[in-house]
Amino acid sequence: MTRKTILAGTSILALGAVAMPAVAQERVPSVEIFTTTESYDPIRYEGAFIIAEAWEELGVDVSVRPMEFSTLLDRFYSEQDFDATILGWSGRVDRLDPQFFLGTLDSRQAELGANNPGGYDNPDYDALYDAQGAEFDIDARQQIVQEMQDLYVPDAPVVVLFNRDEVVAYNNTTFENMNAMAGEALYSEWVPMEAQPLGERATLRIGGPQEPDNVNPLASTSVWGWKWMRLYYDRLVRLSPDVEPVPWAASSVDPVDDVTIDVTLREGMTFHDGEPLTAEDIVFTFNYYMDSDYNYFDSYLAAIDSVEQTGDLSVRFNLSEPSAPFATITLSQIPILPQHLWEGIENPGDLTPDEIPTVGSGPFVFDRYDRGEFMSITTNPDHFHADEIAVDAVEFLIYADAEGVFTALQTGQIDMTAWRLEPGQIPLAEENEELTVVSVPDFGYYHMTFNTRREPFDDRAVRRALSMAMDRERMVNVLLDGRGEVGTSIIAPVNAFWHNAFVERFDYDLDAARAELEEAGYSWDDDGRLQR
Amino acid sequence: MTRRGYLIKRVLQAIFSLWIIATILFFLFRMGLPDPTAALVTEGLNAEQRAAVRAQFGLEEPLWRQYVLFLTNAVQGEFGTSFSYRAPVSEIVWERLANTMILMLAAIVLAYAIGVPLGAWLSWRRGSRTDTAGIFFGLMFRSAPMFWTGMIAILIFGVGLSLFPTSGMRTLPYDADGFFDKIFTLDFLWHAALPVLIVALYYLGSPLLIMRNTMLEVYGEDFIEMARAKGLPERDILYKHAARNALLPVVTQLAVTIGLAAGGQVVVEVVFSWPGLGREILNAVRTSDFPLAQASFLIMAAFVITLNLLVDILYTTLDPRVSFR
Repeated sequence: MTRKTILAGTSILALGAVAMPAVAQERVPSVEIFTTTESYDPIRYEGAFIIAEAWEELGVDVSVRPMEFSTLLDRFYSEQDFDATILGWSGRVDRLDPQFFLGTLDSRQAELGANNPGGYDNPDYDALYDAQGAEFDIDARQQIVQEMQDLYVPDAPVVVLFNRDEVVAYNNTTFENMNAMAGEALYSEWVPMEAQPLGERATLRIGGPQEPDNVNPLASTSVWGWKWMRLYYDRLVRLSPDVEPVPWAASSVDPVDDVTIDVTLREGMTFHDGEPLTAEDIVFTFNYYMDSDYNYFDSYLAAIDSVEQTGDLSVRFNLSEPSAPFATITLSQIPILPQHLWEGIENPGDLTPDEIPTVGSGPFVFDRYDRGEFMSITTNPDHFHADEIAVDAVEFLIYADAEGVFTALQTGQIDMTAWRLEPGQIPLAEENEELTVVSVPDFGYYHMTFNTRREPFDDRAVRRALSMAMDRERMVNVLLDGRGEVGTSIIAPVNAFWHNAFVERFDYDLDAARAELEEAGYSWDDDGRLQR
Repeated sequence: MTRRGYLIKRVLQAIFSLWIIATILFFLFRMGLPDPTAALVTEGLNAEQRAAVRAQFGLEEPLWRQYVLFLTNAVQGEFGTSFSYRAPVSEIVWERLANTMILMLAAIVLAYAIGVPLGAWLSWRRGSRTDTAGIFFGLMFRSAPMFWTGMIAILIFGVGLSLFPTSGMRTLPYDADGFFDKIFTLDFLWHAALPVLIVALYYLGSPLLIMRNTMLEVYGEDFIEMARAKGLPERDILYKHAARNALLPVVTQLAVTIGLAAGGQVVVEVVFSWPGLGREILNAVRTSDFPLAQASFLIMAAFVITLNLLVDILYTTLDPRVSFR
């Protein structure tokens, strides 16, 4: 006989809970779901209510609390003062390497302010996290990464709600060979290098509703700054459209042992001002970033112990610990700065816009940036990749909102959109024969994270049951208009190499959720509230 | 009270108002908006790194010190460095303010140049169909949301007929030696046409209706009767005698309108991607860019207060009845 039937019996006999202290159960404490305000993001806002509705049905007292975005970040990361929170991680290219997302469940990142605010703590998981980070054999690493997903998913410390599709469009009468990249859509670093003009104009025009915060490589903290700057700064390695690291400014990257990596530079490279690019610039750049107050790259640089010059064109990186993602992430993200222009600058973060040396060595040359209006770069004829590039310049037109961008696309003022279309614009774009709509899945994700230190989320069974009580299918269909995919793992399906397609799935099923709870000793009182 | 005493009193009042506004702004931003570093730094920065960012922008100083510093700097026209642009705030604000003012002033001048004589004329034809139609259209454009009229204009003249550009102040890119070099071009006029038209239509209603209604009041005055009795032509009575006397409320309205124009019409700036102050304020608030938002609001307030002061002073000359109370 289960406790539920005993309880049912007691109520029939009208003895009440007091008469049967042995089986008296306490109601599960009420919970709050933190989410964004409706105006900041209607999707996360509505999503919270969809979840709350089903949880109520399961007998949990739940309230939704929308919060201003930075307050939400504070409560979640800095204070860890929450029951369950809906937030998201954006899919930046460097996060295609599993290191970052896997780290969000590492118990050593559970301190205040770090990336595991839910406090998931699984020693086996942590051990595997270290193992994959140090594994240079990519197949062996893949296996560990997939095992980690198998390990954490059944514990349900976090539920990936969905991966949203990025829908953008370009004008198919002006350019072709526009290949969208996972997570980056069209505004990737490759599209300007691969686009083929169809008409006389060889200048690619991009339009977007956002602009860089600034174009100071030691101050910009926005994706919009770096998406632009990476076009005129080279990196040692670039990630290919298939997200494989390809040597770029480096001609080769050779691991000597687990903690020593030799990099040889391509010959004959120069900065846009004509000065040669040598190993000295590489050593300078990495040290300059490591010594600066600029935090943006800190997590990438953390593994580096020292950088030394071993020849005119060769550099040795000494790591403090083995780091498999070093070549993919660190080397592909740090821009190469010219030593001769930066070495005299002591507080690079304080430079005014006019003082910033915008000289790189990349395939494009910085031309101008008129705040709020316009940015442009021209193709660098001296770059080793110049022969592959068909456009002669790239212009970025800044609009006030997505409506302005779309009007510009329709009237031919721009060739492609840098940012996703609004839901209402997608059918319009699809009807327009001159426009091609491109949809790419995002490997960033929206998630609900449980605070595993708190009741009732400290109980694995509750987390599992509540995960089954999230109608994520409905969220994708209704909130995303079908443009997305129900989440399965923190490593998204589009990130096929690292994604584990066979993890446990928590489909929406309230009966299964109830069964899970009953099995763990939960029951429901006369009012249908969950108790234990 | 003497005229001089009155002026001094008004100036002191204006300064006092500004100080109050500056104080409210300063504390409002710090109470109302959360830690700016939350917006400034990216996800996944630890507490120590956040503190470093805070220190970099002087946010670790005690509040009163920040306040005193803010006031002293504001008096000297210094508003610090924008959190996100890393550029001096004053530079950004003045440039944006100029962009906004040129749009707004052009629209206001247009609206009043048409609205005032049109209002006078309508009052003369009062009760006729023209009058009804005039009032209807004046009220309609006054009530229609500008994002809507703006988008319709873009749809028809920009997308449909391709007559006018739909965004920006100039064809990009352009080189200009300073502000006037930027606006004294045909290209600028071409770009400004639609937004100016939309804002002007919106403003048209006020001078039109105020002028018309005041005129109707003036018609009842004895001196109009007198003019008629003298046998003056109706046209002369209308424009020379009645209109002059009906102008006063219009002037008040004009001053208030110009004063408030500094904030721009955010909606129009967004719809036409006009790089004005309104759009900048919106961004600044959204990114918790304190220095930029504070400076923008303060300059707007200063604008309104100064213009009100000027109008009050002007009044004492225009209409001696409004004397030094």
